[in-house]
Amino acid sequence: MAPSNTHEKKSTFPRAAVLIPALNEEAVVAQHITDIRAAVDVPVWLIDDCSADRTARIAADAGARVIKLPARLGAWGATQTGIREAAAKALDYVVTMDADGQHDPSIIAALVKPVLRDECDVVIGSAPERGSTLRRFAWRLMRLTSGLDCGDLTSGFRVLNNRAINLLAGARASYLDYQDVGVLLMLEQAGLRIKEVPVVMPPRANGKSRIFSSWLIVVSYMAHTLILGTIKRRRPWNAR
Amino acid sequence: MITMISATFGICLAALLLFLVRRDQLHISHGLGWTLAILLSALLGFAPRLFDATAELLGVSYAPILGVALAIAALVIKALLTDIEVSKMKVRQQRLIQKVALLESALQEATGRPPIDD
Repeated sequence: MAPSNTHEKKSTFPRAAVLIPALNEEAVVAQHITDIRAAVDVPVWLIDDCSADRTARIAADAGARVIKLPARLGAWGATQTGIREAAAKALDYVVTMDADGQHDPSIIAALVKPVLRDECDVVIGSAPERGSTLRRFAWRLMRLTSGLDCGDLTSGFRVLNNRAINLLAGARASYLDYQDVGVLLMLEQAGLRIKEVPVVMPPRANGKSRIFSSWLIVVSYMAHTLILGTIKRRRPWNAR
Repeated sequence: MITMISATFGICLAALLLFLVRRDQLHISHGLGWTLAILLSALLGFAPRLFDATAELLGVSYAPILGVALAIAALVIKALLTDIEVSKMKVRQQRLIQKVALLESALQEATGRPPIDD
């Protein structure tokens, strides 16, 4: 390899990417990627979680880098794939967003600011007023069991700095099945600073949740999350 | 009579174990654990009085239940160890799937070659 030019000017702009885990979102993904690219000048990586439709092709045509998983891993597994790539490339931060159009790209700049100013390591785009009474009750239970002091536990609209990227790219984070309580507890217990920024989240552009498609799945998710939160919560003797 | 039955069972199990390891159907590390189990059951099968004496020492009035309890405990431990191993395998598999996806993506970026279909 030829020696680098020592007089080369290093870029002062932070290196970043927008990560979008996606499953069967062909109806909305093109517009979503277009909106993101119009709002921010960073690469968009779509991690296709084995979609049965044309999500991957449409996303690639819209200008995203598509990472196609050869087997379905779920939303967190797909997100972690993007985070691992970000860690390998030593990015300064990543923005994670859902593929269903609920997250407004025009807010990205506001979400990123606290991380760029080093006010925190993680920003959560928080919209606790969204969702049904049942969902808010579920969040309350999750807060009670996990001890997390977070308004919107399940928001996928987040900014992660390099410290958070490196932590979540690790094998320990691969033991998690979902991106909410387990991930937030891992970040908190590693001493990372988490900040919530209020955002507005419109209803899904594409119908009901891809992840929670039946009551059985919802019940299983709640049992999993509440037990995990109880086991992993910070003990009183380790209080901040 | 019970000695004959347990001895026969132990011998059959030992033969099956040897067959499975020889045919590469069972990993030798699992074979070691099962060998220990077979030796223990063979010992108890050929020396039932030893088992009765142990039960008496432990204050168990009905000796066979000690065997049942120990067998259940062993199976629970075995199941737990298996789940730990399965968890590790699941994580390893997940990370391999992620790695394949990232490598295919990098290859596609570099050469234009699309991912290989399953």
